[in-house]
Order: sequence, then C-alpha cells, then structure tokens
Amino acid sequence: MSRQSWVAWLYVTPLMLVLVPFFLIPILVVLVASVLETDGFGGLIPTFTLANYVGVLTSAQTFHLYAATLKFTALTWFFTLVIGFLVAYFLVFHVKNQLLAISLFLICTVPFWTSNIIRMISWIPLLGKEGLVNSALLGTGIIREPLEVLLYSSVAVVIAYVHQLTIFMVVPIFNSMARIDKRVVEAALDSGASRLDVMRLIIIPMSKSGIALGSIFVVSIVMGDFFVVKVMSGGGSASVVSAFYENVGVLQYPIAAASAVLLTVILIVVISLILRAVDIRREITQ
Amino acid sequence: MRPGRGDIELAGLCKSYDGVTNVVDGVNLKIPDGAYCCFLGPSGCGKTTILRMIAGHEDPTVGEIVIGGENVVGLAPVERRTAMMFQSYALFPHLTVRDNIAFALRVRGQSRLERYRAVDLMMEKVRLTELADRLPANLSGGQQQRVALARAAITEPRVLLLDEPLSALDEQLRVRMRQELRRMQRELGITFVHVTHTQLEAIALADIVVVMEKGKIKQSGPARDVYAYPCDRYVAEFLGGQNVLSGKVEKVGSDHLVISQPHRAGIHVGVHPDRRVGIGDRIDLAVRRDDIELMRATSGEPGGGATALPSRVLAIEYQGSFVKVMLDTIPDEEFIAYVPERTFFQDPFNVGDVLLATWSAGRARVLA
Amino acid sequence: MTAVLERLDVPMVKSRRHAAAPRSDRRPWTFYALATVFTLYVAALYGPMICIYILSFQDVRGGLVFPMKGHSLHWFVDLFTQVRTGDVKGSFDRSIKLAVLVTVITLVVSFMAGLAFRRRFFGDMFVFYLMIGSLVAPGLVLGIGIGLLFQWLGINASWYTSALGAQLSWTLPFGVLVMFAVMSRFDSAWQEAARDLGASRWQTIRLVVIPILAPGLVAVALFGFTLSYDEFARSLQTAGSLNTLPLEIWSMTLNVTSPSLYALGTVTTIVSFVAIGVSIGAIVLINRRRGTGPASH
Repeated sequence: MSRQSWVAWLYVTPLMLVLVPFFLIPILVVLVASVLETDGFGGLIPTFTLANYVGVLTSAQTFHLYAATLKFTALTWFFTLVIGFLVAYFLVFHVKNQLLAISLFLICTVPFWTSNIIRMISWIPLLGKEGLVNSALLGTGIIREPLEVLLYSSVAVVIAYVHQLTIFMVVPIFNSMARIDKRVVEAALDSGASRLDVMRLIIIPMSKSGIALGSIFVVSIVMGDFFVVKVMSGGGSASVVSAFYENVGVLQYPIAAASAVLLTVILIVVISLILRAVDIRREITQ
Repeated sequence: MRPGRGDIELAGLCKSYDGVTNVVDGVNLKIPDGAYCCFLGPSGCGKTTILRMIAGHEDPTVGEIVIGGENVVGLAPVERRTAMMFQSYALFPHLTVRDNIAFALRVRGQSRLERYRAVDLMMEKVRLTELADRLPANLSGGQQQRVALARAAITEPRVLLLDEPLSALDEQLRVRMRQELRRMQRELGITFVHVTHTQLEAIALADIVVVMEKGKIKQSGPARDVYAYPCDRYVAEFLGGQNVLSGKVEKVGSDHLVISQPHRAGIHVGVHPDRRVGIGDRIDLAVRRDDIELMRATSGEPGGGATALPSRVLAIEYQGSFVKVMLDTIPDEEFIAYVPERTFFQDPFNVGDVLLATWSAGRARVLA
Repeated sequence: MTAVLERLDVPMVKSRRHAAAPRSDRRPWTFYALATVFTLYVAALYGPMICIYILSFQDVRGGLVFPMKGHSLHWFVDLFTQVRTGDVKGSFDRSIKLAVLVTVITLVVSFMAGLAFRRRFFGDMFVFYLMIGSLVAPGLVLGIGIGLLFQWLGINASWYTSALGAQLSWTLPFGVLVMFAVMSRFDSAWQEAARDLGASRWQTIRLVVIPILAPGLVAVALFGFTLSYDEFARSLQTAGSLNTLPLEIWSMTLNVTSPSLYALGTVTTIVSFVAIGVSIGAIVLINRRRGTGPASH
C-alpha cells in the first residue's frame, strides 16, 4: 500500500469505527442468528440449523408478505418516478429564473428534514371517514357515503409512501438534469427534433443516473419499511419487515433473522440490477 | 532580511508518475540570480511539472535542484525560500485582500499589528491599498493578479514561480499585466521563473527563454537568440515568425549552400563555415517572414545570391502595422510574408496574383 | 441528496445554467401543465402537515379531524403535563442531546472521510460500498442486529451508546455523500498555496480548508441533526428503556387519539424548521459575506 493510501485510511478510520461495529457486525449477527435455534424465551441455542429458512421459504404467509411488499414497492416506485421526474423537469427546464428555481427546489426538499412519522399521521385529518377529502366529495355530491378505503387501507399506505419518498426522486433527477447543457437541447430543436424527440433522445437518457439513484432510495426504503404499513393500513396489510417486527416482538429471533436475510438478498439483487445501469460512485462524487 | 542568492541550477532532472514515461526527461539548466526566465512549450511538455518541482510541490524522480548553491530537493517550499503564483491565482475566497496577503505572516505567528504593517507597505507597492477590505470575488482579473503577486512576494522569496500567470486575463489586460510583472521583477530584484504556452509573452518578458518539447529542453537562451536563431524546425515553428523549408543540398559554396526540393530549386542559404554539410544531405532552413520581399513577376529577377520563388497569393490579412500575405511558395506548406503596411499599400496585391518571393542568402539560416 | 447543497451554493453554477441564448418569451402549454403538477405536488407535500398544525390549536373539545373546535393552547399544555401522553419532556430532551452529539460526530467524521475520498486509495470501493450498504439496509433489521450484538456482549442498550451508533450508521453515509459534493468544488490549489506560504498541515485545514468549506459543513450538520432528531426505525430496538422523541410519537400514534399528537407534531416540526432555517440562513450569510451570494450580483 502506498503512503497516500495509508494517509487516506487514517482519515477514514473514524468512519470505519462506526460502520464496522454498527453496520457490518450487526448484519453478521443477524446472519448468524438466522441459523441458530431459539429457546423460545428470546435466548439463542448455538446449534446450526436451516430450519428457520425452511420455515420461512415454505410458508404461504411469506409468499403473501413478499407479494404485498413488492406490490407496494412497484406502485410507490411508479408514482414517485412520474411525479419526481415531472417536478424536476419543471424546475430545471421551465423555471428560467435561477434564484426562483433554487427556492422552489428548497421548498421541495425542506420536508425531508422533518419527521416522517408526523408527515404520515398528518394524512389522518384528510383521509379519515370524516376527513377533508370525504367531506369535500360528499359536499359536491360525487359520493353519498364516505369512502372508507381512503384511510387505513392499501391506498393510504401508497399515498403515505409517495408523500414521503417523492423527494428521493426529485433531488437526484434534478441534479442530473441540471447538468444537461441547455445548448444541447437547443441544438436538437434547431436541427428539427420535436419536443418528444428531445425528451426521448436527450433528457431521459441523460437523467438516467439520477433516476437510478432515486430508484435505489425508494425501493430500499419501501422494502425495509414497517411503520407506514402498520399505521396507514390500520393493521390490514403487512410487509416483510412488519412481520419481522411481530416475530421480534414474540422473541422469535431466528425466524425473524432468516426472513431479514432473505429480504436483504432480494434487496441486493434489485439494487445491483439498478446499478448495472449506472456508475453510482461517479454519479455521487461528481 | 536579504533575499540571498536566487540562482537556480537544474541537474539531470527527471519526473515520472508511472515509472515508465518521463514527463520531465533529463533537464539541465542554469538560471542566474535575478533573471527573468520563461519556460515555453505546448501543454503537456513538462514545463509546469518543472515549476512545481522547483516550488517543492512535487519531488523529482531523479536529479538535483540547486537554489543559491544549496540542494533543495526534499525541502518544504518555505525552506526553499521560493514562492509560487498559481494559475488562476488560488486566492483564498474567504479572506480579504489584506488577509490574503498577510497569510504567510499569519502562519508564522506574527501579531495582527505586525503583519498588517508589512502588508500595508506591500499593498502600497502594488497599488492595492484602496482594495484592502475587498474579497477576491469582487476583484477584476488584473487586481486578483496583483493580490496573488503581493501574497507571494511578502514571504521575501529569492525565487518567484509563476504558473501561466496571464492566462486568466483578456488580451488587453494581458499586455498591461506583462509590464507590471516585469516592473515587479525589477523592483524585487529576485529571480522569476514563468511558465507559459504563449511565445509572445515569453519573448516580451524573458531574459532567458527555455523552449520545451516532451519533457526535454529544445533550446534555451536570450529571447532574441531563440526567436531569431531557432535551432531546429520545432523551435522555429513554435516561436513563429519563420518560414521553415526542407530540401536536399545541391551545391556547397564557401559561405552558402544551394538547396532544392521537389517543387522548388535554387534556394540559397547562408551557412556557418564550421557547419559540415555534404551534397545530398537533407536539411531544414528558416527564413523570417519579415525578411521576405515580394516582387511583381514582371519587375525582373533579383540580384545574384538571392532566392526568388514564384508564388501565388492565397490570402491576405491586414494586421495593422503590417500585412500578412499567405503564399503557395512551397505547395502544401505554410509560407507567409510580412509586408510593412505602407510598402504594401503603395502597390497592393490581390488574392491570385503571381509574385516572386525573394530573400538574400544571408537571411536564410540552416537549422539543426 | 448531495444536490441540495449544490443548489444552495447559488453563484458557482449561476453562469453555467443560462448560457444558452434567450428564447422567445411565449411559454409552451407544457409549462402550464407542469406548473400545475408542481403546485399540486407542493400542496400535497405541505397541505396535510399544515392541517395538523392548525388542528393542534383546538380547545379541549378538539378531535382528530376538521372542523376546528375553538382555539387554545390546551393540547400543548396537555402534552407536557399529562402522564397519559408519556414522558414527552424527557424524550424531547434526550432527542435534542442525542441529535447534537450525532451532529458533532457526523461533522468531524464526514469531513475526514471527505478528505480521504478526494483521491483514489487502496480499498476505497470497499469503504464506499460499506457506506452505501449502511444507507440502504432496512433500519429495523440493523437495529435488531445491534440490539442482539449488545445483548451478546452483555452491554445494556441505551440511547447514548447503541442508539447513538445506530443513528450514526444512518447519518454518516448522508454526511459523507454531502461532503463528496462539497469537496468536488474544492480546488486543491488552495491547499498548495497555503503550503507554499508556509502553513503546516493543521494550519492549512484550520485557516483554509474549513473556512472555505464552511457552507458545505453547515449542510452536513443539518443532515446530521435532522436525520438523528427524526430517526425512528434504527432507534426502536437500540434505545433501551428510555425513549427518544420519535419513539414517543410512535407509541402515541398507537394509543393516543387526541390532538396532543398533533401538538407534538407541531412542536417537533418547529424544532426541525428552526434547524433548517438556521442552516440555510448561515449558508446564505456566508456566501453573501464572500460577495459570491445573489446580493452582490
């Protein structure tokens, strides 16, 4: 190792002192726990077993949980992508005043720095049976009975996810779009490209890395979430991690660990598929 | 504090980043104390690397750097008593002009009062007093350069190293700041080493011009020598102002040769008696563009010992004090004559005219 | 997220963005369509939050939905005095302390890592992917891993040990990513100039690097503070017996059905907004003082 590398490692040592004991080892602990037996009281018996995996993989419940989680992931990904792309496109290509664009961008990002739980429960006065949306719909006569499907349902879960996570699409897509030289677009228009062509041939390909980065955030957060599902579905839906949470609640660590490992594997597969499309480090560090 | 001797000697200097190719390849050079030296060459020729090695921002792979009789390799920049003016200046954006200039004194632990006294003197010298409390972002390019100069000079270096100091300025300012640099150099009385890729800048400023190519020195010497007597085709073409021709020696006289080449014959060129040339040798020769006289083809042949090549005018560019006439004298090669403005307009040529491009043998020089 | 501050540094990107020649002033229909989408998005982003702020100011008859029943600060008082709502004051206290601690550590560690990552080094991709892994790992799973680890080691989980570490595993990747964006603007010639003028390594960092990077460091601090202050999933299994504020809110969502919940939402959001306001204000101020801000143009 060169002298330069030694110095660099000196500088990343504090980072590693956090990541190793609070990320790497805990993940290994979960991996280990997934192949141990439980004594039923929260203790682990150091006997190797694959029974936990067999249990997880053969249960019909697992299938339902994954189906539900993937459904939520796909829906959330779709809506956040469409909204995020349009918002970023508007800010970059339609707001001509630089200062205004940045202010509007900041307005979009501020909620990121506030509490997720609060933002989630703030849908209650809107979506509830007597909430604003139902009152408005009843008032205009569109519906006769209040819609119960709005809160404590899958719809509410997706709404809460999209509400929380669109920002993770807006920011990276905005970032890659802002890097597109406006003169490229003008050159394309001058050479007779339609605006659809510009979108298809220039803007989307050049925003690809931002889309990929945003997708990684959205997918990993939805797949790892449990409290939005728990609160917003009113107990009606579950996800892989909320089931995991229940298992932990009844001290079934090995089963929970096995399902967590499975989830992590799936997550890694999905993320590496996304990563094949883009060099994430280049995207982030530039 | 007296600056001490600022003469520089580079001995067998090499620099390689990958261990395979040398960016700087065996450079030997002496720069006397108090000289203004310009390294000139295209980007990637190693000139900036040499500067950075003299400054102590990079270590040579092989070789010695001697300043004032002392080998400085391995020493920190301050210990070398050199100071560097960076390309685009690298002024600290968060510090005022005064604090930028005072930086070196601050890190030496001087009190605020003490360092401001020194800085105020320096600011007066470079006419920055009015701007003392400005931040770099609010200065013009020329002002920034003066701050950079003052910041470097306050360390009382014996050598000032300038990396493309004028490249960030526009054309007019560049000429003004050139004079400013020269004036500062005289006032400080220290050695300046200046890196540039603009030949005009180098010959206007330097006592010694060092022309580089691919990590090697091609030619070094007083500006006039390098400009008027380039040693080879590369230097002649890089410094400009010369037409370079190549051809085969037909005849060897006592003080001149006659050269021919596929398209043109009877080119006369003066040669130093020590230079040994045989018939059939291939040589390059150079003729200054302002030494070429253009004559109407009808006005008769020039006198003996002169070269006269029939040429067609390809293009004409008015340059103010002279007119640049591009000719097809040597097919497929650039051949240009600079005609004094008044002379040209006494009997102006047009594109397509056929002329004789003439020069006397003594004006042409054989290149290495 | 790195873009957030790239955008805060207005002036550096300013000249680049509108280099193209001005086009005609007539806006295409897409402008209006997209402006509508944008407005709806912002309305949906803030609307619900504003609803609960308003509803938290009801009087004692207040419920969870509109219409407003009176105006008072009843539920705020209720929040800090009633036993039923749990130990709000204590958890508030702990969350602020923890957030400050996390901010300081995040700032220092991210800054150092940012310095290291300016050049390639042996094993840099390993560190990088470890960081990305820590960022995308499901928080609850990681929290339980940390909880189990502490249990095996026989250390009691508490907010200032295991939860601190768990939160850092979340804030540090963000901090370092923000540092990447900040560092990409840092010209190493500044460092060389300082060295040339005789500054030691430490003097260079103290007098040149840190002041120049100040706006970026403020942004890192903002991420550290707010992400820790609102962190929930990773703290759930690692905070031990004493709750942090988000955990308190979580338990309230499960058993409190009065506007106290909204009042707590209002209070905690005010803290976040203060942090955001101070940070953005500081960044704008620094940039303006450098004469690079919008004011001087």
